[in-house]
Amino acid sequence: MCALSRRAALSAAAAIPALAVLPPAQAAAQPAPSLPSTGTDKPLFGASLWTLPNGLTVVHAENRRAPVVAHYVFYSVGAGEDPQGKSGLAHFLEHMMFKGSEHVPSGAFSRRVAREGGQDNAFTSRDVTAYYQNVEASRLSLVAGMEADRMATARFPAEEAEAERQVVLEERRQRVESTPRGRFREEWDAHFWGRQHWRGRPLIGWPEEVAALSRDDMLEFYRRFYTPANATLVVSGAVSREAVAKLAEEDYGGIQGRPAPYPKAHRGRAPAPPAPLEERLVRREATVQEPAFLRGWIAPSLPPDNEASRHAHPLEVLSHLLGGGRGSRLDKALVQSGLAVTAHCAYDSDALGTGCVELSVTPRRDTTTERLEQAVAAEVQRLLDDGVTDAEVERAIRQITAGTLLALDSLGAAPRILGSTLAVGLPLEGIEYWPARIRAVTRAQVEEAARAVLAQPSMIGWLLPEGAA
Amino acid sequence: MSGTGFSLPIQVVEGGGLTAWLAEDHSVPVVSISWSWPGGAALDPKGQEGASRLAANLMTEGAGDLDALAFADALQDEAIGLDFSADRDSFQGGLRALVPALPKAVRLARLAMTAPRFDAEAVARERARAVAMVRRSLEGPQGRGARAFWAAGFPDNPAGRPAGGTEESLAALTVEQLRAALARHLRRAPGLMIAASGAITAEDLAALLPELFGALPEGKLEDPPALPAFRHFGTQVVPVASPQSAILFGQPGIPVGDPAWETAQLVLRILAGGGFTARLTHSIREERGLTYGIGAGLEVIFDQSVLVGSCATANARVGETLTVLRAEWKRMAESGPTAAEIEEAVAFLTGNQPLQFTDSRRIAAILLAMRRNGRPLDWLARRPERLAAITREQAIKVASRLLAPAELSVTVAGQPEGL
Repeated sequence: MCALSRRAALSAAAAIPALAVLPPAQAAAQPAPSLPSTGTDKPLFGASLWTLPNGLTVVHAENRRAPVVAHYVFYSVGAGEDPQGKSGLAHFLEHMMFKGSEHVPSGAFSRRVAREGGQDNAFTSRDVTAYYQNVEASRLSLVAGMEADRMATARFPAEEAEAERQVVLEERRQRVESTPRGRFREEWDAHFWGRQHWRGRPLIGWPEEVAALSRDDMLEFYRRFYTPANATLVVSGAVSREAVAKLAEEDYGGIQGRPAPYPKAHRGRAPAPPAPLEERLVRREATVQEPAFLRGWIAPSLPPDNEASRHAHPLEVLSHLLGGGRGSRLDKALVQSGLAVTAHCAYDSDALGTGCVELSVTPRRDTTTERLEQAVAAEVQRLLDDGVTDAEVERAIRQITAGTLLALDSLGAAPRILGSTLAVGLPLEGIEYWPARIRAVTRAQVEEAARAVLAQPSMIGWLLPEGAA
Repeated sequence: MSGTGFSLPIQVVEGGGLTAWLAEDHSVPVVSISWSWPGGAALDPKGQEGASRLAANLMTEGAGDLDALAFADALQDEAIGLDFSADRDSFQGGLRALVPALPKAVRLARLAMTAPRFDAEAVARERARAVAMVRRSLEGPQGRGARAFWAAGFPDNPAGRPAGGTEESLAALTVEQLRAALARHLRRAPGLMIAASGAITAEDLAALLPELFGALPEGKLEDPPALPAFRHFGTQVVPVASPQSAILFGQPGIPVGDPAWETAQLVLRILAGGGFTARLTHSIREERGLTYGIGAGLEVIFDQSVLVGSCATANARVGETLTVLRAEWKRMAESGPTAAEIEEAVAFLTGNQPLQFTDSRRIAAILLAMRRNGRPLDWLARRPERLAAITREQAIKVASRLLAPAELSVTVAGQPEGL
């Protein structure tokens, strides 16, 4: 259950913002705040949720640390909904949402927010597109009014599309094309899921497809998916529930939207392939200085709720004990043993439609590819053969829930966690009581989840310096 | 602060001969403490580049009777954040803990500072990781460009060397050299600066200070080599196989204590700040689509600064990007900002202040930076009135003094065309 991180690389569950935070050298990646434990079973955010007659979901979470508010609108649409052959549309459209609406001229949105001391930006992930402003509390109605205006009447001026397309292509070069790791990551997804499968396409789009996106594509996408019934408004900070209710009604209540295109968790996406499409992807590049190893499995996730979703929380625990940092099984077997420099396991339980479990390792240079693969395979086999211990499960649960309350130590964590989770159709209780759900995970469930995923076919990937074996 | 008058009350807390600034706030049960010593990579002897940073990393890799694994579990079991790091001009420590875990966090931090183990396994592992990170940073134009930019701007000075070291220097560091890097910094006085934020009273913080730092020795700090002015090196191309070039540009800044400091920040917000409103973003990104993002600002090194910025653009468009960049630099140097721009930027900088106070680590970091820069306690509280008092004439004068188009040095890493 991780929040969308603003500067995450284009990796699993990544979201990409409309504007680079600058200068890039100082743009610290903000690790996703792990959702975390209170030790009691009080709701984490104490949020309330209701729905307007036009279908808009409204969420309020109060936090009075500073006289500021965060105002977010999440649309339940992301790169996963890009039409066939039009990858990158959700993201390009997000950029163009800053180019004016009926009552807000192009560029004026951000200028007005800045004029009031606020900050604004937006991001697109595979599952959601979100727009947000952080402002001093008395400025809330200004930003809500402008956000509602572009929900109803965004213009997408044709004369500004070409320069913005170039911005998107520069963004793509910067994130993906200019480093061997960026290129490899993109190839990995394409080979794993399929180059035209919604899960295998880059969020930012294939360059030839981005080049061909038209204003009509944008308008059609906008009309279908940008409607109150497909949106979640999250307001958190120094503001009362009553004030948010009034504001939501006044600014958003009058938008006569279309019905939701789908239930938030059931979007008609193609199913995941039964297994990764390939067994192996090896790339050699002259500029690679450090080899990289990946091994991935298709895994179930929470949304949409189905028979396999029961494995999601156990997989969060499994992921931590397998590769959640110092002291994990992979850390012991690969890093402490001297075979590798880093070793991690990643799993995102909130990914809509399908998830994956992914091991990523930076081997030491003198470790052969065979040796590393054997060591990883041995750890996986040991897990499948011998299971896990109660002590391991207990410790993993403790460590992943220990910092729950730290999610309150920032303005952005609450709205990001709430919005990104609700916008994929998961219930509020799943967020508020997440620690209790993790604490309820048993050893038997972890072992069952491990067998359900790690005993299945996987794909192995290597990025190697040129000339390497 | 336009409208609210909100500011952060700062208390000065003394305990055991140590002084900390505190922003107390009990709305969330979390405490952050940040501290620093001057020096950092600037004190790494020639050939030992990266010693301070690697030593800093090793402080949390086993200390006292806890080996690396036990130490890591002690932190993770309670979600304690404890980090040490070294950059160009300082050595820093920081912790964040939920209130119930604070005593344990303090014990672990003290242990890390007074009894780091430097076990052979941990040293080998962290050294390998540091080497891998350094090599990896050189895989793309961004890292290669940054390395060359600083080396050219500060030749023969530690500020021009990579703070994280090089593959060669890291490989050669001995445990004695790493321990010496810690000994150069870790002392209770002089030089130690401390700031805290969150759910802790002044009284409790006063009691905590000697517990955290009391066991450190006293003693004079080494003087770092004098920092020369950032050298103008013209335009430098670093060939990197990439479809896009990383561009870094810079020129000498002004001292942190310069009376024009805040006016310079205002001018730079208008020329090259974050968000969508700055001139560079407008003319290079919005109008021409030349880059995803461009910005520049004053990077402080000791009490001086370098004005440095960056962007990235397709190789074929490097020439055009630089032409527009230089024209904007020149236009601001010659004519300064307009009255409307000043009014907007002052409104932003004033109104934005409360947004800085939402995260305990960030608040502690702001307080620490104020102390390091020699700012008075009421620096933030009086900032709105200082900003409001800046006249257009002053801004024009500072812009022309600060911005030197002919002094702008540029590093282009990639396969640029049109230079």
